[in-house]
Amino acid sequence: MSGEPILQVSELCKSFGNLAALNRVSFHIAPGEILGLIGPNGAGKTTLFNTISGLYHPDGGQVAFKGQSIGGLSPHAICKLGMSRTFQVTQAFEHLSVAEAIRIGAYNRHGERGVEAKVRETVAFFGLEKIQDWKCSDLGLAPLKRVEVARAAATDPELLLLDEAGAGLNASELAELMEMLKTLRRKRDMTLCVVEHVMPMVMGLCERIIVLDYGELIAEGTPEMISKNEKVIEAYLGRRSKR
Amino acid sequence: MRRNSRGSWLLAIALAAVAAALPLAFLRNQYNLILLTTVALYGVLTSAWNIIGGMAGQLDLSAGAYLGLGAYTTATLLLRWNITPWVGMFAGGVVAMGFAFLVGFPLFRFRIREVWYALSSSALVVVLQVVFLLWKQVGGPMERLLPSASFSLYNLRFQSYLPYYYIMLVLLLATLFIAYRIRTRRLGYYLLALGDNEDAAEVLGVDARGSKLKALVIYAFLVGITGGLYACIYGFVHTSFFSPTISMEVAILGIVGGLGIIYGPLLATVILVTGRELLRAGLGGRLQSLYLVIYAVVLILIALLRPRGLASLLGAWRKERR
Amino acid sequence: MIVNILQSVADGALMGCVYALIALGLSLIFGVLNIVNFAHGDFVMLSMYLTFWASTYLSLDAVFTPLITIPLLFGLGVLIYYSIIQKTLRERFVVQVAVTVGLMTFLRAFAQLVWEARPRALKFSIIQGNFPLGPFTVLLSRLISASLSIVAVVAVAMFLKYSWLGRSIRAASDDADAASLMGVNIRWTYAFAFAMGSALTALAGGLLMTFQQVDPTMGLRFGLLSWCILALSGLGSISGLLISGVIVGVAEALTVAYWEPRARSLIVYLIFVVILWLRPRGLFGRK
Repeated sequence: MSGEPILQVSELCKSFGNLAALNRVSFHIAPGEILGLIGPNGAGKTTLFNTISGLYHPDGGQVAFKGQSIGGLSPHAICKLGMSRTFQVTQAFEHLSVAEAIRIGAYNRHGERGVEAKVRETVAFFGLEKIQDWKCSDLGLAPLKRVEVARAAATDPELLLLDEAGAGLNASELAELMEMLKTLRRKRDMTLCVVEHVMPMVMGLCERIIVLDYGELIAEGTPEMISKNEKVIEAYLGRRSKR
Repeated sequence: MRRNSRGSWLLAIALAAVAAALPLAFLRNQYNLILLTTVALYGVLTSAWNIIGGMAGQLDLSAGAYLGLGAYTTATLLLRWNITPWVGMFAGGVVAMGFAFLVGFPLFRFRIREVWYALSSSALVVVLQVVFLLWKQVGGPMERLLPSASFSLYNLRFQSYLPYYYIMLVLLLATLFIAYRIRTRRLGYYLLALGDNEDAAEVLGVDARGSKLKALVIYAFLVGITGGLYACIYGFVHTSFFSPTISMEVAILGIVGGLGIIYGPLLATVILVTGRELLRAGLGGRLQSLYLVIYAVVLILIALLRPRGLASLLGAWRKERR
Repeated sequence: MIVNILQSVADGALMGCVYALIALGLSLIFGVLNIVNFAHGDFVMLSMYLTFWASTYLSLDAVFTPLITIPLLFGLGVLIYYSIIQKTLRERFVVQVAVTVGLMTFLRAFAQLVWEARPRALKFSIIQGNFPLGPFTVLLSRLISASLSIVAVVAVAMFLKYSWLGRSIRAASDDADAASLMGVNIRWTYAFAFAMGSALTALAGGLLMTFQQVDPTMGLRFGLLSWCILALSGLGSISGLLISGVIVGVAEALTVAYWEPRARSLIVYLIFVVILWLRPRGLFGRK
């Protein structure tokens, strides 16, 4: 874990009306690491992802990807630079088959010649052979989530943002997913940033965790440090007891 | 899929051969030739519409705008500078294309919601109609007749509808081929993805605005060429060529045919436009408008009962995935 | 000169109030059901013909025909909602458009079949005539039409705000799922909103007939006109609708008076397109 960070976020702000969804958020992601991003519901995690990936226009602050400022770039331009993501609420291509959905991602780095091979390879990597001809609208939640990861991975990103890829999966599906993500990093040199509610996944996967609460960064550290951090416990438990 | 595609090609070629042979069945009957030409013309329009409407999911209602632009460009080039329609119709396609770019560029930039895209494209047709009505040098309220001649290859004037039918058929085959090429390549996949979910497509590297613009411009080009031919067939141009009715009809045929399916709009056109024209000829007189009433009812029924389009009937029969 | 301009502005403003009434019906249908009704303008056209009929055969003055046509159009709205519109609610947007464009074609062809293509106008209405007001001439029919339109728009606004039914319509338009949890019968509310939107065109059609003729192709003009007003005002603001209606009416009147009568639709659609490009939410919109 050396060298320049692959992603550097500084003082990022985003608000909707009077509501500040992100308030001067700063953090970095080092090349090759798996960073966890956690926080209670409504903490601004998805807003952060949306702002980094270009779906939202930042109101202030800087986002630099591989040393280049990407604030205000459109999502497809950011994807071309080497960053892709999945969605918390699955965003399926209803009329496309699984293989076709992956093909959309595969076209990012491949022309008509290479795209078939890339699709086949991705399908095999994520174990989707059996359902590759199914329509995305016919899939259940677990396969759908996997297809989302697969199509994002097919764009050959250097940084992959995963928004609750583990939500709604059972224990064995979760274990499989974690294995795949680890392989992605090892074999494809991908850097991962995961937003997650499923604690075993966060603890088992991430080397470093940052915690967001009410749009502000409140803690950063190793999983052990985070699990003992007073502020974090307060954010998760305190609010519940106050209600 | 591979095995299937060979059969599909053979079927397509066989159908094209039948279409080419059809006029031989009633060479003497000009009415039937008009009917065939009309169906082929609508076939081009709806198949081209499929690119922007069916694949990209943009409900475009501006076919009449590009049709009129193509017609007026062709006619003006011929009348003012004696440039043959053979060149003129491609010029018409280019003018339509340029106009589509000017319109699409701001529209797609602001990610205008589908409703407003549909409505503004519909308004566009009326705007152009008025512009050409007021633009005395090129348009005006009267029809502008093209040079009359019993036979002139240079002016694209023929006594019979037969040559027009064949030219239209060539254009139709070209349009279908272009739609097929797009559908099976990057742009087609991108458009389908955009039609389904724009945000998801964007983060996978799909340039939404660029892809939609490409689709719109290709569609406009094809419709523009058709407009040039349209002018030659009628022998005049008139502002009524900027027709909101034709624009909506093209879209509706594309929808009830089956969105994004290459042969869907053509299928709907062949069945429904033929049916409509036969009804029109059969009823006539006092009941002149009855054919439109029936036609409208049929369209509504198909849209309600077969929301995936007529092609889904065939699809179910062939158990074929799109 | 200045008197002439003001005269045009006033005429256009009066006309704009009737336009706002038409757009209000559309806004109810679009806002509540989220259905893009391309046939709305053709409902106006149909209402105008029904007015023509009622006043020709029943010797009823155009101002009073809404007493008959409003229930008629309301009933027609209910019928169309249950037979057609309801089935498209869960369909994709394009299917909805295909159906309402089909409906539009149907209404137009029906009008051509029954009333033929030539324009029809009423020979007489008790509110015809005009009177001078200082340097201006006031057309009685337009003044009364505009007043009645404003009264109707305000009445609908009050109804939506204060009545139980009106509130459930607004609840359904904000969030159908939440509203249905709170005991609002969504299907019934939708049917009512659609029928009410249609019934408003009956009033507008009656008023228009006191100073205008009707032909079967008019529907598209009114349809696009009311979409333009809706785009200008944005959803959810009734005073915004009135102001937008007046803006459109005045723009039309000034174009007719000082440029070219045939260019009036050009101006309206240019406003429409520019608004869509610059302010996609409209000038007064909430959503």
